[in-house]
This record gives sequence, C-alpha cells and structure tokens, in this order.
Amino acid sequence: MLRFLVRRSLGAVIILFLLSIVAFLLFFGMPRDPALLMCGKTCTPANLENLHRVLGLDKPIPEQYWIFLTNLVSGSDDFAQGPCPAPCFGYSYHSNEQVWGTLMDRLPTTVSLTLGGAVCFLVVGLGTGLIAAWKRGTLVDKTFTAGAMVISSMQIYFLGPLALAILVYQTHVFDKPAYNPFTENPGAWFTGLIIPWVVLSTIFASQYTRMSRSSMIEQLQEEHVRTARAKGMSRRYVFFRYAWRGSLIPIVTIFGIDLGSLLGGAIITEYTFGLPGLGRLAVESVFFSDLPLLLGVMLFSATMILLCNIVVDATYAFIDPRVRLA
Amino acid sequence: MSKGGRHTYAAISVLAAGALVLTGCSEGGSKGGGDDKKQQENAERQQSAIKFGDAAASKGPAAEVPGAKSGGTISVLARDSYAHLDPAQIYVQDEMSVSQLLHRGLTGYKATSNDGSKHEVVGDLATDSGTTTDGGKTWKFTLKDGIKFQDGSAITSADVRHTFERQFAAFINQGPPYIQQWLADTPGTDYRKLLPDGPFKGKHLPDSTLETPDEKTVLFKFKNPHPDLPYALAMTGYAVVSQKGDTKEKYDKAPVVTGPYKIQEFKSGKSMVLVKNENWDPATDPLRHQYVDRFNITFNQQYEDSTKALLADSGTDRTGVSFSNQVDAGNLSKVLNDPKMKSRTVSGFQPYVGQVNINMSHAEMKDLKVRQAIAYALPVTPFVRAYGGTDAMEVAGGIISPTVSGYDPSFDPYGKKKKPAGDPAKAKKLLEEAGKTGLKLTFGYINTPEGQQYSTAMAAGLEKAGFDVQRQEIPAETFYDQVSKLDNNYDIFHTAWGADWPSASTVIPPLYDGRVIAEGAQNYSQVNDPKVNSEIDRINKITDPVKAAAEWETLDKYLLTKVVNVVPTAYYKQVQIAGSKIGGLVYDDIIAGVDARRLFVK
Repeated sequence: MLRFLVRRSLGAVIILFLLSIVAFLLFFGMPRDPALLMCGKTCTPANLENLHRVLGLDKPIPEQYWIFLTNLVSGSDDFAQGPCPAPCFGYSYHSNEQVWGTLMDRLPTTVSLTLGGAVCFLVVGLGTGLIAAWKRGTLVDKTFTAGAMVISSMQIYFLGPLALAILVYQTHVFDKPAYNPFTENPGAWFTGLIIPWVVLSTIFASQYTRMSRSSMIEQLQEEHVRTARAKGMSRRYVFFRYAWRGSLIPIVTIFGIDLGSLLGGAIITEYTFGLPGLGRLAVESVFFSDLPLLLGVMLFSATMILLCNIVVDATYAFIDPRVRLA
Repeated sequence: MSKGGRHTYAAISVLAAGALVLTGCSEGGSKGGGDDKKQQENAERQQSAIKFGDAAASKGPAAEVPGAKSGGTISVLARDSYAHLDPAQIYVQDEMSVSQLLHRGLTGYKATSNDGSKHEVVGDLATDSGTTTDGGKTWKFTLKDGIKFQDGSAITSADVRHTFERQFAAFINQGPPYIQQWLADTPGTDYRKLLPDGPFKGKHLPDSTLETPDEKTVLFKFKNPHPDLPYALAMTGYAVVSQKGDTKEKYDKAPVVTGPYKIQEFKSGKSMVLVKNENWDPATDPLRHQYVDRFNITFNQQYEDSTKALLADSGTDRTGVSFSNQVDAGNLSKVLNDPKMKSRTVSGFQPYVGQVNINMSHAEMKDLKVRQAIAYALPVTPFVRAYGGTDAMEVAGGIISPTVSGYDPSFDPYGKKKKPAGDPAKAKKLLEEAGKTGLKLTFGYINTPEGQQYSTAMAAGLEKAGFDVQRQEIPAETFYDQVSKLDNNYDIFHTAWGADWPSASTVIPPLYDGRVIAEGAQNYSQVNDPKVNSEIDRINKITDPVKAAAEWETLDKYLLTKVVNVVPTAYYKQVQIAGSKIGGLVYDDIIAGVDARRLFVK
C-alpha cells in the first residue's frame, strides 16, 4: 500500500508540473495583456513597459517560469509587497494580495460548501438509489428513477435562482446564502449554506440515485449474492451485507472525482449564491488575466482532484477484497 | 476613460452590459413619461456650468439632509471587491464611490441642492477651491484647521507634498496621471523621471514645482496653465496620504483615512465593515455626513442578486443599498412600472457617451459629404435597443454628455433625437452628390452579443443610404487595441468615452486633438483639424470654468457640423434601488452612483 501511495504521489507531482507548464504557456498565448488591463486611461508604450517591469513580465517566459518554480518551492523575499513564504505563488496582479493567503482564505467557504453538499447528495442519492433497487419495478422505483432523470437535466443556474426567488425573496423562509465561519457562528454557518447545499445536492444526488440503483441491481444478480440467498440468508441481510458493499465501488470512484472537482471550486454554485470560494476566485483570475492567481487556483484545484483520486484508489482496497489481494 | 475593453473597469462594464442583452429587453423598456421627465431634469441640471467655490462655500459642516437621523447600520451590496484602497491607486467607479466615505482631498464636489442635482467644486481639506493669479500656472491652497488622519495626527502640507511625490514612484501605477504630467510638464509616463523613486529615497520635488512654505500652504507651480486643477484635485486619486503612515504597497490594504468613516475590517473578496472615524471633524467638512454608525459591505452580489434582495425589502435589506450596482435589465421594467418600487429608486447618467468613429486616415473618408452621409444614415435605435432600451441609454445629440458642464440638450445636428432610425433619404442624396454611391464601408464591431446585434442593424441602415457595408468582428478583449492602431482597416467603429471630471477638457483634447494621434492613443478617428487643435489650446487656458464650458460646447458643435469625425449614439444611464428604510437616497452624476455621504437609516 505504501509503495502504491508513493508511486501515485510521484505521478501526481509530475502531472502538476506539466500542468503548470501548460497553464503558463496558455496564459502567454492569451490575447490579453494583464499590464494593458491595468494601464489606465492614457496608456502609452512607456507606461506599459513600466507595468511589465513591475509585474515581472518583461523577462523571457522560461525565466519567469523558473522564478515561479523556485518561489513555489523555497519562497521569496523579492516581492515589493513583502515576503512570500513557500508555497509562494506570488502576489495577485489585481488585488496585490499573497496568492497562497487568498487561497487559504477562500478555502473554508469551498470546503464548507463541498462537504455539506456531499453529505446531502450522498445521503439522498444513495438512499433513493437503494430504495429504488429494493423496490425494483414498483411505482416507487419508477418515481425515483424518473425524478432523477428530470432533475439531472436541470442546472444550478436554473435551480439556484429559483430556490432563491421562492425560499428567500418571496417566502422569506431562509436568509440569503452567505458564508459565515463555523468557528465564529455555527448556526449562521448552517443557515447561510443550507440553500446552496440543497441545490447542489439536488443536482448531484440524481446521478447517485441512478448509479447506486443500477449498481445495486447489477450486484444483486451476481453469483455470490444468489448463492447467499440460496443458502437461506434474508433478503435484507444479503442486500446490505453482500450487494451494497460491491455496489459502492463505482460510486466511490465518481464521488472521488466529484469531491475533488468541488473542492477545486464549484464555480457556478459559488457565483449563483455569491459565495466567496475558490470557484469564484478562478473566474476572477481569468477575468483579470491574473497569472499568479490563475496558477495558484489551477494548481490547487488540480492537487485537490489528484489527492481525491489517490484516496479513492486507496479506498478500493478497503471496500473490495479482490483489489487488496491483487 | 474609454469603455469596453482596455481597462479593468471597462471590462467589468462590458460584462454588465452583456447582462442587459441576455435578458432580452425590448426597445421600449419601461418608457414612463414621468421617467423621461426626470431624466430630462437630470440632463438640464448639467447645463448650469459648475463653478469653483470660494472660502464661504468650502466651510463645514455640510448642510443637513432633510429628515436625517443618526444611528443604525446600512447593509451595502457590492458586486466587486475593492482591489485598491490606497487613493493613489483608485481610478474605478466603485472604489471611488466608497472612497467618498474614507478619503478626502484638497478639493471636492459639493452638491448644492438636496436632490444632488447641482454641484460646485469647493475646498475639502483646503480652505477654498484654490487661487491662481497667473492664469492657472501657479495655484495656492491653504489647509483648514482641525483636519486630522484617523490616528489623530494633524494633516499638514508635508502630507500633501508626500501625497503628490509618491505618485511618481513605480508602484503607483493605477491612478490618474494628470497632475504628475502637469508638474513634470510632459505627456505620457515620462513624468516619473522627475522623481523616479518618489519621496522614498530622500529626494523631493523641487520648490519650483511643488512648494510647501509652511505647515498650511501648498503651491503647485506648472510651466503651462492648468485651469482644471481644482477639478483634478477632486479625484480620489489625489486624496491625501499620511506621510507617517505610508506603508507603500501595503497601504493599498490598510490606508490611514481622513473621511467620516474608517475601515474596521476588510476581508478582500468577501466583506468590509466601516465604522465612524472619531477624528473626523464635521466642522471642517462641507461635503460629508456621519449619520450612520456602520456600513456592512458584502461583495459578490451580482446586479440581479442585489436588485432582488432590495426589492424583497426584508431583514437587513430594508436598510440595504448598493453604491454602484444598477437595477438589472431583467427587473428594470418591473421596478419602474410599479410606483411603490419606483419610489425606492434613483436614476441618472453615467459619464459615457457612445459614438461611431469615422476613420479619417482612409482616403474615402476624407470627403465631408461621405461623412455627413454616414452621420445622417446611421440608425442609433439598434444601439439603444441592444443595451436594454431607453432606460439604459438615451439618444445622444453631441459628444458632451449631460454629466459634463456645458451640455446642450437642444444640440442634435443629425436629428437623431427625433429620427433615431436615421435619415437614409438625406444620406443617399449626399452620397450621390459626392458621386460615391455603393461606397464600401468596413465596419469593425466589438464581438459581444450587443456588438453583433447593433452592428447588423446599423449596417442595414447604412446600406439603405447606398453604402456597401462589410462588417468585421473584433474580439472584445483586443477591441480598443485594434481600433487604436494607426494602420487599421476599419472605416467606422463604435467606441465610448467618459469624462474624468465634468469638463469637456477630458473629452475633446484626448479624443480629437490631431497632435495626439499616435499608436494606441485615443484619437480613434485620427482627426487632425487645425481649428480644433488651436481651439483646444485656447480653451485650455480659460480659467473661468463657466466660460470654458461654453467654449467647449461651441467646439463640440464645430466638430459635429464641420468636421464630422464621429456620430454620437447614446448617453449611458443607470437606475439604482435601495431598501425602504434608507433615507437621503440620491443619485449623484459626479459620483455616477448613489451618494453614500448623505445616507441615513429612517
């Protein structure tokens, strides 16, 4: 297992390295010049040159990349804004704030949104999927399956404003979504995120419903399950003890990917509900051609996805003995 | 300031404008008669040219807002977080707007009526709006007594000197460049050579440029006259910075403020809390009030979100307002057609004027009759429609906006106000007289949903007059870079420009002075008319702002009737809304948004 984890971690580092090169090159391939965005009203070539110098964009791209890498690993005291300890992504062009600090500042919002949403969509998705599989062919199964189909065709940018209009602006059942730190006010943290969680879980839960149902049905047709039933074990026991465990493998896979993506930033959800998380930061970094922030968000998000994938792979071993033995 | 791509604020505006179109507003919008009347009043008030106030007008405290009460908290909904709080780095509207509460400069705009309809430039930290005895070359300002920074230290002329000297340092690169250029007597960014590191390495501007003979007196000494100095000093970019408290780059996050409010907490990208500054003395301030105990500002509120929240008028949104967010286009008609909702709105003009530029460097465009034919034929309705109708745009006559001193609402040389769809018959005749029927016109349009929409309809209108229009898309990100190239192949293209202060001196010289034609410069039409050039020099020397405003308007008329290098399309407008418990709600044309200084909780 240790060897596996080391191997996967090294692979992840290589992927991140390659990704950083691609991101760097893509940035310079963009038609926008960040200095031009900041150049002001009476922009002249001299002013632009000054900005390029201030932003460090006057150096050759390989040199800029090398500076980025060394800063990332060992930090830097060369920034005019102040020291930048490792992992140093530099200072944002737009806000002049340390990128790592900004990422850490926005992370709790995204983590809260992700974990709360994940709990909701896992409970709802797996629950309805299992019930549908248990009641296969009945009205309950058809209702859940059809409902999941309908909901999966909806989007957050539709459901989100709809939920806001009904639950917040018309009926005043909930407060406007907002992020309040859990450590400061757990009640406000919960009430502020409940609508985003519900909307997020509604969208995500539908695919878990469909997947857990089909996976469960597939497992129920496995020979070892049939054998267990033939041995006289109860349907409930076989369902939960034998079939459910096996049906979790594809679900864990997709959950790992979803969790990683959401931790990297739920862009539309954060935008829809005005939550200051990593997703919103990603959009801002592109909007302002903010290279340090763009690289920071991109590498951080990629790290989240890669980490989740490693955890998922490791989890297989615990769920499925065949993997462990292999 | 150009609108549409070059600058951060312009880029943001493009997104906002995009939202207008996505909602698919029809041409008419909510064209209430009362609304038009209000807009007209709004426009007419700008005809009374802005004056430079004397010592009496500059005395504090500011006149009480009728019905104002003290206390309470106002919730502010803002779309964008503030990237800059160092006044020298501020050049975008939303940051300028909140700065009205935080920063003070030597001069400022005083609303001389309770509906915010009239203004004059007065002394803010200075005892008056400045005095000059040599036609604007030398300006003298005297600081008021009792003015302090938030830490209780007195504001002295040394702080004022420091404020201007630090503008020359390389890290100050976002704010306005005007006064630095005037002090160094050089255009562009060469002004930095005068004091390359600012005051941070012990060097200072010579007394022949900026003199502070005692703690109270500040003398600006220019080589050429700059009668607009009182206007320029009122920009947030020139608000006073504490010499003792200057932390250079870090000042941008934690400035030492001088206004009635100070920053208690700023979570970039999330929220900001402003509380009363105990060291602000109302007796020294003719512009601001301190009615509210606290402003809680929340960022990331899109126009649609803030509109819906303020319309719902519940909880903290009852005492909610947005300094800069407009009512989103999707809700605009609903809001303006409901008297109850409308009573909670204010509206006015943004500083931008849209205009179709005619590229005078192209041989075919040198024929006046061709340019006049374009001016008559061009329909402006598609432009107004593309941006959400008459609630968002008003058909323009001239290039001087209603927010600029000297605006003449009756000026409409091509009859656009009466015939916004254009006059193809007249245009056809002119084109025939010129012998240019079927002339090929290359129309470079910005590739946004609005650009695609209005350029198609405009091209159709021009074709009715006999032009052969070829539309060519230009990516939004590089639009202004493309059209400001000297050797571009576009015969016509649409740009927008807003004045930096309410004088056409920040409109006509940068856009139409033939001597500033350069790669990347803002004379997009590449117009070089000797009379325009000489008039710019003459008017720029007029020290009386009222006389200057009248002269600029005359030059506007000359440009549009005799030179015809642009065809004005529309004046940009906006509507804002607040919660029912907000008092003192006024739209201020100078701020281009809600005037935060007057707000109170009912």
